[in-house]
Amino acid sequence: MSLAAMDRLLPPEGVPLYFRVAGVGVRTAAQLTDILITGAVAVALFLLSVAFDLVTPFTATAIGAMLFFVIRIPYYAASELVWNGQTLGKRLMKIKVVSADGQALTTQSLVVRNLMKEAEIFLPGTMVLTLTTDALVPSLISLTWILGVLAVPLFNKRRQRLGDIIAGTYVIHLPKPVLLPDMSETNRPLTATQSSYQFLSHQLEHYGAFELQTLEGVLRSANRAKGPAAYKQQKETLAAVFAQVRRKIDYADPVPDADHQAFLEAFYKAQRAFLEQRQLFGDKRKDKHHTAENGDVQ
Amino acid sequence: MSERDLIRSARFRQEREDDWRRLSNLVDKAEGQGLHRMSFQEARDLADLYRQATTSLSIAREISLDRGLLDYLEALTSRAYLSVYAPQQRLGGTIRRFLTSGGPRAMRSSWRVTLLGFLCMAAGALAGYLFYFDNPEWFYVFMPSDLAGGRGPDASTDYLRSAIYDEEDTSGLGAFATYLFSHNTRVAIFVFGLGAFLCAPTIMLLFYNGLILGVFYALHIDRGLGWDMFGWLSIHGVTELSAICIAGAGGLKLGLAVLFPGPQTRAAALRAAGHDAVKLALIAAMMLVVAALLEGFGRQLVQDQSTRIAIGWSIGALWLLWFALGGRKRS
Repeated sequence: MSLAAMDRLLPPEGVPLYFRVAGVGVRTAAQLTDILITGAVAVALFLLSVAFDLVTPFTATAIGAMLFFVIRIPYYAASELVWNGQTLGKRLMKIKVVSADGQALTTQSLVVRNLMKEAEIFLPGTMVLTLTTDALVPSLISLTWILGVLAVPLFNKRRQRLGDIIAGTYVIHLPKPVLLPDMSETNRPLTATQSSYQFLSHQLEHYGAFELQTLEGVLRSANRAKGPAAYKQQKETLAAVFAQVRRKIDYADPVPDADHQAFLEAFYKAQRAFLEQRQLFGDKRKDKHHTAENGDVQ
Repeated sequence: MSERDLIRSARFRQEREDDWRRLSNLVDKAEGQGLHRMSFQEARDLADLYRQATTSLSIAREISLDRGLLDYLEALTSRAYLSVYAPQQRLGGTIRRFLTSGGPRAMRSSWRVTLLGFLCMAAGALAGYLFYFDNPEWFYVFMPSDLAGGRGPDASTDYLRSAIYDEEDTSGLGAFATYLFSHNTRVAIFVFGLGAFLCAPTIMLLFYNGLILGVFYALHIDRGLGWDMFGWLSIHGVTELSAICIAGAGGLKLGLAVLFPGPQTRAAALRAAGHDAVKLALIAAMMLVVAALLEGFGRQLVQDQSTRIAIGWSIGALWLLWFALGGRKRS
């Protein structure tokens, strides 16, 4: 999964949104999950009907055949219709089918993408099992065909298989909104006599947005640390980051060991306020190399 | 911490956070129970709050460097977008619309490929017929043994006659179900699905099925059972073979879109062709179910030769009537 696999969509509100395209791996996992679930249910139902002696052996084969048919195309089409583009496997993997034009999924597009599933997934899947070295030439031909079918999603940006292209759909990771606390609002009581840490503007000139957000990540994980071992490791990380920041910005005043996190939080807040203000004035600083890029401006 | 201590982007967040959380709850609700089951108030709030969230997102992208906040807003707005603009479609009426207008219209607009599908199979049948009279050994080459059920050039004429007229010892449902998943359904699915691979697999499969039909029919003509065979095949075959040809037509449509996309890109041409092709596939599926019912019940119950022919072809005529007249606008 590369970061580049984002799909841009422009809603009528004019604010572009970015969806993470689901890769071949996660979709294969969802497909396998579906096969396992439906297979288990079908076998259970079949055994149940046999165990209760409800049916003659001949009807039992018929029921078996019926179940085997239903867990293929009808199951996928029906579940995607009912759950708006998600089968059970897709729900477990938190992925979803969406329409490429950003509109609602239509019945016909869901039916066609699942009809193609038979030719694109199940047929090559069963053909893999028939590959033998005894019949070399037919095996090679079917292998080429299988690889060709499997390669289709790899050659377009949205990882669409043939059925997706015909239906005009693709599969995304369902975005999960989790609101984390704002790291600039923490107010840690200081252990030392000092009431707060102050930074001068020349000390805030060094870093850009990338370093700021990396620091944000470090501070967030420091708050999450649980257990003595993790706590000790966090302490060491913070001490290392602190030493680095202090050397870079030339902070002369003494800082007690217990205050490392408080110092970094104070620095984070001051740095963010500074960078956000610069950004408002049109001076976006991507990372610490910003002075080299905008050397002529300053 | 007092208000003044907060930096600008933190104040921005503080002022709007409650609305975001409310939106998040509404989105969960819309995804859980569906937009159409929400109250008017809630549905309106969802749309309003979504628009506010897009504004928040576009401001936050400009003024905030808080990765946590940005990620949250991106995810929240995308999710809200999906529940506002791409909600669960209501399924009621879909089937009625398909039966009264969509299906027959798709058939009429793609009569050329449908004809092509029928021609492929007919050519196969003719070839099979000629092959048999060239040398009956060809029967064993083309006919899969499980499909023949003991019938072949070496079987006696009495045996062939009994296969046509004798009641098989099976319950109606059992025969229906086993039949449904047997040979023809699989063939129909494949001729449709494989069509996108440049038409070739579909044409070959249709031709091959024609071959099977041809040698099988030729065998019975050879034994003077041609007319009996015609009745045996007619009762369900008219519907069933048409279903396969129509599914094949759907596949051919897809293949032709890949081969000759015209001024569009191939993907766009495929999408446009898929619109009608899927309807053809659904019609074929419907016809196969009807054919299975006819095979399961009709063929065993109706033993009379001319009744069989009458039933088979009148149902065929009904299909044709539906394709020709369904969904036309009254003027």
